[in-house]
Amino acid sequence: MTDYCIKGARLIDPSQELDEICDLTVANGRVTFASPDASVELLDCSGKIIMPGMVDIRGHLQEPETLSSASDAAASGGYTTILIMPNSGPPADNPGAVHLMREKASKDTNIEILQCGCLTKASEGEVLAPLGSLKEAGVVAVSDCPSSPQNTEIFARGLEYASMFDLPVIEFPRDLAISSSGVAHDGPVALKMGIGGYPRMAEELFVQRAITVCRNLGAKVHLTSISSAGSVELIREAKGRGISVTADSTPHHLALTDECLLGYDSNSKTMPPLREELDRKAIMEGIKDGTIDCISSAHEPCHKHEKEVEFDLAPAGVTGYETALSVVLGELAKNMDDPFPLITKLMSLNPSRILEVDNTIAEGRMANLFVFDPNSNWRYKASQGRSAAKNSPYEGFDMKGSVMMTFSNGKRVFNLI
Amino acid sequence: MSLEELTAEEIECILRQASKFKDEISHPKRQTDYLKGKRVVNLFLEPSTRTRIAFEIAAKSLCADVISISGKSSSLTKGETLKDTALNVQALGADLIVVRHSSPGSPLFLSRTIDVPIINAGDGAHEHPSQGLLDIFTLRENIGSLVGKKITILGDILFSRVARSNLWGLKKLGAEVTLAGPSTLVPRQFEAMGARVSHDLRESLADADAVMLLRIQHERQSSSHFPSLSEYTKMFGLNAARSKWLKPSALILHPGPINRGVEIDSELADSERAVILDQVKNGIAVRMAILYLCAQSAGGLRKND
Repeated sequence: MTDYCIKGARLIDPSQELDEICDLTVANGRVTFASPDASVELLDCSGKIIMPGMVDIRGHLQEPETLSSASDAAASGGYTTILIMPNSGPPADNPGAVHLMREKASKDTNIEILQCGCLTKASEGEVLAPLGSLKEAGVVAVSDCPSSPQNTEIFARGLEYASMFDLPVIEFPRDLAISSSGVAHDGPVALKMGIGGYPRMAEELFVQRAITVCRNLGAKVHLTSISSAGSVELIREAKGRGISVTADSTPHHLALTDECLLGYDSNSKTMPPLREELDRKAIMEGIKDGTIDCISSAHEPCHKHEKEVEFDLAPAGVTGYETALSVVLGELAKNMDDPFPLITKLMSLNPSRILEVDNTIAEGRMANLFVFDPNSNWRYKASQGRSAAKNSPYEGFDMKGSVMMTFSNGKRVFNLI
Repeated sequence: MSLEELTAEEIECILRQASKFKDEISHPKRQTDYLKGKRVVNLFLEPSTRTRIAFEIAAKSLCADVISISGKSSSLTKGETLKDTALNVQALGADLIVVRHSSPGSPLFLSRTIDVPIINAGDGAHEHPSQGLLDIFTLRENIGSLVGKKITILGDILFSRVARSNLWGLKKLGAEVTLAGPSTLVPRQFEAMGARVSHDLRESLADADAVMLLRIQHERQSSSHFPSLSEYTKMFGLNAARSKWLKPSALILHPGPINRGVEIDSELADSERAVILDQVKNGIAVRMAILYLCAQSAGGLRKND
């Protein structure tokens, strides 16, 4: 194993409140700040940034993506840990399915792939999945994303039962009764296009449900993919009252609005749908004041032929691993001079705390980190990406900053230097 | 594709052409074989009678070869995608394709996929441009210039492509448009498209120069937008008594098919002020103009001056 000394980069690790220029060596896969010996490959990285590996909290792994293409794509985007939602392949609602997935992941991937189990059987929302057995089989969280148990009793029991195992529940807040036919945000754009609306209310009602259940049962929940301004407000208020709720939003909801849909571009169909400028702004405010804890990639691969159909029939979903960091940086850079400390919190520290992953950059620890060049801009072309899926609304977009090198569990898994 | 994207001048151009064709077809001896040798494919993937027949007659009046493919007879029932169906129709030598589809935006999707000019004959709740144009044509025949005229569209606006096309077209020609009906079918958000929204029937009829009724599309309402048809009729149906709220000169239009006794009283539909059958007739000339102008812009036609 070659050892590398990353010289002169800015190291940011919010878990230790570290932010300084230093020389960091990865020797035998472990981090050291000692002077490197002669055999080490020296890399001049002045002007670049070392950050703890990013941790993703919502990704789906359906066709055409494979474990290996997903892990390559994620590594090139700065991720060293990704959580796979339980609807990727056979539902992860039994220990066998979890074992199978974990066995495949240990062979085909070079980053840490974590499995999220189902909260209910087949994520159908009717009967709780065997959460204790799932945890023993290795799941680190449970969720029915991109659905949600519509029956509030099941949801509340699930939260209560999962808390016994300290198993985080990731809730995708969606009231199906008022959003089942919705393919776009219920607003002027959808009205003009004549397409079915998925109103903010569908999300906000279930955000409120989750908050109320947590308050009454003393349970905790993580709300994923927040898209509406009203949800941000509800979460802010709940946090103010000390209720154990955390939340993430996605790069798409931070950067795009439903105006993207105007040409009936099915690659801009996301779940939840893109909303209006006021929602986008509220999410930005929520990120800045800590209401929104994390940004998840919402990586949702689709085949090209699946998207090349009538707009309302096309599946929702956008690939996310390769563009997440640059998209978030592009938006945050418009709002603050130095967005990097916040980005490391949103995309590494906070999700790592929810999933209990330790990506601290410290003497003797295995290297889970990446080198980022904030000045290397690029143009996104899906065809050149590492993900096997090409369904992205960012085709041709100018992207800010590039991941140059990623180490996962001590191994260099991506390199552009 | 849509009336939203057309300029007032482009709409005028289509209406002028339609007027010429209306003249020509009323003289049986005049030749209108401008599309002779052209192949027009009617790709109707959603049930339609009057629009499909009107396009067929229009194309035949221009001496085009017309092939009609309907949803049931097409390969889509065998699992072929819309894209592949369209590629096949193109490969079979279509010069123009007229598309009716229940999915909004599907004609636009097809136009990005194939090189043959596509004419939108209604796409979900998005637009129905040829219907909008024939409604405007009929209005102008009866009340002249639309500048400053007040037009009320009444009924199921939410699910109506006809309402959207009319709204764009009428606004572009200077009319003031009021959308009226129950609040669940006429959301305030339509104001963002330049319409006035009213949930008060009497007020919305009071100063209208014409009222355009829309069919209540029970098959499109995924959930209950109003309690029942009879309640709708009671609250928003147009009958003889309520027609007195209208100005004496006000016209009544309906794109059909009519639900007699639901949105409009039978006698009123047959009355002097209803121009419903004029709309159907004008549909031929307007669609001839659309076919002709689309084929002309695609190249290779002799001119009709």
